Order: sequence, then C-alpha cells, then structure tokens
Amino acid sequence: MPDASGLFDPERVAVVGGTEREGAIGRAIMENLEAFTGEVVPVNPKRETVLGRPAVSSVSEIEGPVDLGVVVVPPKIAVEATRELGERNVDNVVVITAGFGEAGTEGAARERELKEIAAEYDMNLVGPNSLGVLSTPNGLNATFGPANARPGGLSFMSQSGAFITAVIDWANDQGIGFKDIVSLGNKAVLDESDFVEIWDEDPDTDVILGYLEGIEDGREFIDAARSVTAETPIVMVKSGRTEAGAQAASSHTGTIAGSEKAYEAGLDQAGVLRAENVQELFDYAQILAGQGVPEGSNIAVISNAGGPGVMATDAIGDSQYDMATFTDDTLSALTEALPEEANIYNPVDVLGDTDNERFERAIDIVLGDENVDAAIVIATPIAVLSYEPLAEDIRRLQSKHDIPVATALMGGERTQNPNTILQEKGIPNYFDPARAVSSLDALLTYRKITQIDYQPPRRFEVDQDRVREILKTASQRSNRIGVEGMGILDAYGIETPEGSIVDTPEAAEEAAAAIDGNAVMKIVSPDILHKSDIGGVKVGVAQADVADAYEDLLTRAKNYQPDARILGVQVQEMVDLDEGTETILGMNRDPQFGPLLLFGLGGIFVEVLEDTTVRVAPISEREAETMVGEIDSAPLLRGARGRKPVDEPALVESIQRLSQLVTDFPAILELDINPLVATPDGVQAVDTRLTVDPDKL
Amino acid sequence: MKSLLLASSQNSTGKTAVALALGRLAQDRDLSVGYMKPKGTRLQSNVGKTLDTDPMLAREVLDIEAEMHEMEPIVYSTTFVEGAIRGRENVEELQERIVEAFETLAEDRDFMVLEGGDQCTTGRIVDLADDDIAREVDADVLLLERLDSVNDVDRLLGVADRVGDRIAGVVFNGVSDSMYDLVESDIVPFLEGHDIPVLGVIPHNRELAGVTVADLSDELGGRVLTGADEEVFIERVLVGAMSGEAALSHFRRTKDAAVVTGGDRADIQRAALEAPGVNALILTGGFEPPGAVLGKASDHSVPVLSVQTDTLATVERAENLIRGGRVRDARTVETMTRLLHDHVDVAPLLE
Repeated sequence: MPDASGLFDPERVAVVGGTEREGAIGRAIMENLEAFTGEVVPVNPKRETVLGRPAVSSVSEIEGPVDLGVVVVPPKIAVEATRELGERNVDNVVVITAGFGEAGTEGAARERELKEIAAEYDMNLVGPNSLGVLSTPNGLNATFGPANARPGGLSFMSQSGAFITAVIDWANDQGIGFKDIVSLGNKAVLDESDFVEIWDEDPDTDVILGYLEGIEDGREFIDAARSVTAETPIVMVKSGRTEAGAQAASSHTGTIAGSEKAYEAGLDQAGVLRAENVQELFDYAQILAGQGVPEGSNIAVISNAGGPGVMATDAIGDSQYDMATFTDDTLSALTEALPEEANIYNPVDVLGDTDNERFERAIDIVLGDENVDAAIVIATPIAVLSYEPLAEDIRRLQSKHDIPVATALMGGERTQNPNTILQEKGIPNYFDPARAVSSLDALLTYRKITQIDYQPPRRFEVDQDRVREILKTASQRSNRIGVEGMGILDAYGIETPEGSIVDTPEAAEEAAAAIDGNAVMKIVSPDILHKSDIGGVKVGVAQADVADAYEDLLTRAKNYQPDARILGVQVQEMVDLDEGTETILGMNRDPQFGPLLLFGLGGIFVEVLEDTTVRVAPISEREAETMVGEIDSAPLLRGARGRKPVDEPALVESIQRLSQLVTDFPAILELDINPLVATPDGVQAVDTRLTVDPDKL
Repeated sequence: MKSLLLASSQNSTGKTAVALALGRLAQDRDLSVGYMKPKGTRLQSNVGKTLDTDPMLAREVLDIEAEMHEMEPIVYSTTFVEGAIRGRENVEELQERIVEAFETLAEDRDFMVLEGGDQCTTGRIVDLADDDIAREVDADVLLLERLDSVNDVDRLLGVADRVGDRIAGVVFNGVSDSMYDLVESDIVPFLEGHDIPVLGVIPHNRELAGVTVADLSDELGGRVLTGADEEVFIERVLVGAMSGEAALSHFRRTKDAAVVTGGDRADIQRAALEAPGVNALILTGGFEPPGAVLGKASDHSVPVLSVQTDTLATVERAENLIRGGRVRDARTVETMTRLLHDHVDVAPLLE
C-alpha cells in the first residue's frame, strides 16, 4: 500500500465535480471543506470559481501536487476522472459517486475498471459509493454529511455511509469526538484491513471502531488486526448476525452470508472486541479511549442505594469480574467513615442519607484498596447529595488512584452536567448500573487481548504430491470425495485404520483376511453422501460373511440410487469404540475467513449436543490445545468416571495437521473426519468426506 | 432402396438426433434421403393443429420438401389412443395410410430413415408397434438403447426377440463413464454371442445431455439480467429455500447446476454465486434482484435469469427440459453426426 498519510492529512485537496449548484453533492462537499486548513481546488469545466475558490477546468490543469482527490461526478465520468488523477500522481482518491458494483451489471464492470486504474497507478482508493472521509485535526470534512464531528481519539470506519451521518449527529450531542472517519463504500480497493493498518500508525487514534456487514479477506484482517490490537484496541459491530440480518446484508451490500461462527472465531482470533449493537460499540470505545486496563479482575461497588447496588452485583456475576475482598485497613477505614448501619463490605452501601462528603470519603478509601482493580460508583438522587460535586470528586479520585471507574449517577436532567464532567476524563456514566459493568468488562477483555502471545503454526512434514494426486483423480469423477480420499489424511500424518478399497467379493475376502479380527465394510461412491442412512456400512463383519456383505452393500446402493457410481467397497480394520471417544474434526471454507476448523464431540449425539468449537486456520499449537480443552465434554476426553484419558497430544496434533492440509489446499471446500476416534493410545480417522473445487487444483 | 427404422425400448434415447445424423451421413455418401415418423408423439399444439416437432426439424436438417401429413401420417395423441381403445379406429386403414405415405416419401429415394415411437411398443393397440411398421414397409431395425445398469440387458433381449431377423444391430447411446468399461468388455461380447450385432457405443456427451442457459432461458421465457456466457451447461436444478449459510454448503456439493430461488432471497443468490458448481441463477416471481447481487453476478460471470413463474412451476419446467435432453436443433444433429462417425460402424446401416 502506498503512503496513505494524504488520505486524512492532506495539504491540498482536489474536488472533481465541486459545484455551486444547490442540492448537489459536489456543493455539500465544497461547503463541508470550508473549515479545512489546507487548500481546496475545485475541478469544474463550467465555472471559474466555486464558492469563492478558483476552479480549474480539468484534472490535468491543476498546478502543483495534490494529496487527495475527491470524485463526485457521475459514474461514467468518475472512472475517467480517477484515471486522470492517477496520471497526475495523486496517491489518494475518494470516489463518492454511486452507481458501481451496488448497481448491477454495468456498474460492476465500471467498478472492475476502477480497480484496474487504482492498481495501475498504485492509488489508495476509498469507495466508490462512499460518503467520504473526515479528519478533525485539520478540519477536513470531505463528506456530504450534514454535520462536522468533534475532535477526539476515536477513528471510525463504516460500511454504511448513512450510519456515519447519524453517528456524528448523536456523538456531537453526547460529547464524543473523533480523530478520523471513513465511509468504506463498496471497498473496491481499500477495505477494513487497510484502515486498521493506517490507524495503527496514527498516534492520535486511541481506539479503532468499525461498523461492518462483511469482511473482504478474513485472514488478512486477522493478521492486520493482531499486529494492531496490542497498542490500539479495535471494537466492531458486525451486522447480519442472524439469518434475517444476513439476508438484509446480502441485499444491501451484496455481502455473502458467512457463518456467524466464523465471524465469532475470526474476530476473536483477530483480537477484536465485538460489540453486539451500536450502544455497546460506543460504550466500549469511550471507556477504552479514556481509561487504562485494570491490573486484575477484582471489582468494587460503592452506592448510596441498596437496590441498584444488588443489580450491579448481579451484572458482575455475569461478567469476567469477581467481587473484590477488601483489606482489613479498608474495612477499618470504612467503619470509621460510615455510620454503623452502612455496609462496609463489597458492595459498599453508604446509605440513602449520605451527603457528598461521606460519599467522597468512601470512594477514596475503596479506590485506594490494593485488592480493588476497578470500581463502579452508583448514586440515586437525594436532597443532601448533589451530583456535580460528586462527579468532580469521582473524576479527581479516579486520577489519584488510577484504576478504571464507571458510574451510574442515576436520574434525568440533573445528570447532564455531571455526565460531561465525567466524560471529559473518559469515565462513562449510565442510568443502568449493568451497562457500567459491561463497559468495564470490555476493559478486562481488552487486557486479555493484549496479553495474547501469537505463535506461528507448526509445520509438519507431509506428502503434498500424494494429496494433489488423490484430489485430482477423485475430482475427475465428482466434486465430492468419500472414503476413497482416506489417503489424503494419511499423507498428512492423520492416522487412519488399516484398510483398502476392493471391487470384487473375492478381493474383499482377501482384504479382510489381512486384517486382525472382524472388518468394517463401507460402500464407496462419490454419489452417496450418507452411507449409513442407506445401510451402506457394515460393522463387525466376520471373515465368513465378507462376500455376502459385499453383495448386500452393492445391492443396497443400487436400489437406493441406481445411477450412483460405485467405486467398490472399503474393507477396514475395526476400531474399538468402547476404548475410545468419538470426536469430530472438520473444516468448512468460509467465504470471508477461509478455512474454518471445527472440533467437537462426535458420535450419535453430535447434532443434538452441538458441543463444538471453531477456529480460522492456520492455527498454532496453543490454539489447537485450547480447542480440545474448551469443548464442554473435555472432561470426557480427560478420563471422566474412571475411564482412561485419551491421548490428548495426538488430538491436538491431528487438528494442527488438518489445519496445515486445508491451508495448503484451497481446493478443499469442506472436509469432515467423523468420527475421529480418540483412544488412550492415539487417534484414528475412521471416516471422511470432502467437497472440492477442481478448478483450484 | 434401403429403409431403416430406429426403435428403442424406452424414451429419450436420442432417436431423432441419431435418425437425422444417419440421414446426414447418407447424404454425405451422395444418397438421396427421406425421413418419416409414422407415429407423431412429440406433440406440440400449433395454430390449432397438433404436430410432432421432429419431422419439422428433419425438413430443416435434411432439406426435405415433403408434406408434414405424409412424414407423420398418424398423430398418436391421447384422443387417438382413447378412440382406438373404444374401437373407433380401423387398423387396416391405418396401416394402409402409413404404407401409402411411405411409398410417396420413398419415391426416388436411396435411403429412408424412419423414427419409431417413444418406446418400441407404442402403437401396439392398433397393431402399429415399431416391429409391425418395420414389417409393413420392409425396413431393417436399429435398436438405440441407453444402458444405466446391467439389468437393462433383459429388456433389450426381449425387444430384439420381437424384431427378429430384421435387426440391423444395436447402438448404445449416452453411456456413462461408470458403465462404459462394463459395456465394452462384457455386455457387447454377450450380445454378440446371442447374434445381436453391436454397431457402436456412444459415450455420454455433455453437449447432448446438458441444456444450456440459453435453452433454459428460451424454455422458461426468462429475461437475462446479466450478460454472462449463456452457452454453459446445466445438468441439474437446485431450489434455494434454506438459510444463506446452509445454502452455500448445499450448492458447493453440486456441479453444472442452476439454482432457482426467489428474487427477494439475496442471501441465497449470493451463496449460489460463490459456489463453483452453480452455472446459472434463476429468479422467480419476476422480481428484480438487488443491484449489489447483480454486480457480484457479473463479477463471477454467472448468468442471472428472471422468470415470471413461481419456484415450483419453474423447477418443474426446467427439470422436464433437462430430462428430455438438449433441445433438438440443427446443432444437436451436427454433434450426433460427429459422434456416430467416431463411435459407430454406420456402413452396414447405410449400405
């Protein structure tokens, strides 16, 4: 990516399509740029000046360098204008114009052209179909929104331009300020990953916020975000969570409905704090921008009202925090400072008749306790207590003790000034104590994110050529591959039971004779997806019955699906299920995040219990270990009720080997190993199923 | 003059294409060729007159200027069959009508190709099954058969018995990859052991089996919303009525498919565009899809059709078209001519 500093901090901006015509977007932008501290050059062939600024008739006539080009001309000319900006070596271009990929076939062709131009001239291109960009330090407002934003430390990107205008309006009211804002538009060139990187290098951005409907390249985003989050927190709302929401997002931006699980895992792996709604987005952003992270997870509650104090305690129970236990010094000090009826234990109740002085004293004592990592102050309005001085006190004491604090000074209009007083120090004030807990919880989440030590995935020695060979042969028949693909697992060191595929009853008998004990026999056909449902699997077949079983399997398959291509019958060694635990290991390629690994409890209850966990591949050894450990049934694997624990390191290794396989072969769209039987002596992949895209081989 | 009647034990074996392709090959040998379909079965109502579409194609492909009522003397419609069962048809008169028409058509011709009914038993109620007709006009019989499983051989032997000495041979058409080896190595020698000559085995051919997006569009009366390649093949139809996420998984497992879904289901449409095996998107109810989806369709080069009918009716019509094989047109005949040339010993049929 070329230098993007000119995008938010340009010295000279050219507005192609800047005009005076009432109601035109080109005029709105020119007006919004009036406060800009740099120079604005309108490009308009029909006018000498635009709103008092001298205009040039074409891009080629602009004298001197231009850092940012803003394009607001109709779509057909917009493509040409962008090319001209490229020819003039303008590094940064914002295409406001709509009528591209969001507007059908012709528009999509224009957008492809735009992409080619951006690539040819190595341009940072925002949009098309964007509301524009905004940056407060230099007064740059190259948007056609109705209001300018207040200065602050939040940098915000949004896939919806309309949402930006609403947010600015609301944030101005709330006293929330921004550093930069960008409307991503169709994301033809620059997308969320790029802006995460751009703001990573910006010392004035305290928190990165995003409203997204989809992520262009999930893996790229994970990698970009990981390198940023240690220094700068990222908070995102990703809409289209539900089925109905995903449908709406597809319609709005043409975003493909990715799996919600992939987003959860992907954003989690990226170290992004995910907000469920707009309120949470700004709650988290504000507290992250204003306060440091807590050093531990012990929290104190100080209130003048028992009820709200209990409500807060309930919310803490649901959060990552624990109720702090005060030191003896704190308890003595509180005993001395508070009336006898007060509760000196956490949650502290300073009583309903408390005046400002007593409240301040209690807060000071509690915040000074070494066992307290964060605190919530709750107050209800009473005659002897005034909120403004209380807010001043909280602000001062928060600075003095330097631990995160959130407040619930409850009430109506009387909370407005105190709100502002607290806000200035980044202390959020809410009506609902639970919201205060939730905001503080975000700080703790962020602390955990900063502590993650990202490790590279382990590489195993594998036989890639063999996998490519098997995939090529099998995919000539069908894009679905069954047990005839077991060799793929073997080539990547995932253990499979002894077995072979045969196409005569005699060969089946021979294969069974080579196996210790009874055999498992399965029909092998790329056209039969659910073998067991049609009786295509026989377990515990004795040597004498092998030929009969062979005939029976073939007959069943033919009856079920006469035109199914039968490759033969697999004769496999029996895996003792009593000794082991059935797990499931799989991968589904998410359209945005790529290979999504799934691990969980297998067997007959898998669909009912849905005890599974997912990660975006490739994953590190530690992530694989976490996957195994975090399913609800992990105790089963570890030897519940006197069973021998399974070979957990072998499971962890299988997950990593699958991670490597699906990363090495983008042609594999889906892969299931079900069951992957875990025993005390290792793991065995008993059955597998794949879907491939032969064009990617 | 030589006469050859093409018969099959089942529907949709490719009789029309093979008959006309044989006609073309005969013309290549400077033979003067005539065509007849004694029983019109592929009926289409046309300005109040019910006609079989195959003779019309024959006129075009073989450049024949014969009267339609002679090329297709009996319209084997439901009304006709009901009448025959009620005894309203005179069998002898019908036979005469066929023979007369045949003689007119065959005048000055070197080679007459006759196309049998849907199945060779069609017409038995009026003693005009294919073997009856072959006897009346003294034609050899070529059996054109599909082979989906070894069990089909029983039926084939039954038909061959009825045809008796008139049999010129058997040609297998549209043999799938999975059956090909079995047919070549086991079934052909078996039949020849039973004195049934096998003249050729034509492998499954996409151009013949598959219907193109353009064909579908014609059949469904659809409006093409994106200008992508319409010559891609469609071999199956899937209905999109699940969640977007489930749809992607479902669509990924398919190949050469058209997805039929509502114009308002942007999530399904988007999933379909992402799946490599989906070659076309058919949107029902006459809805315009969102511009963003059309844009993505154009990025993925997937044609999008909009049709007025509902999903159920659309799927039914599309499936019927696919089941019936490619729309019979001059190009189909050309492909078949090439296949006959490559895979079938045609000399004994023409000489």
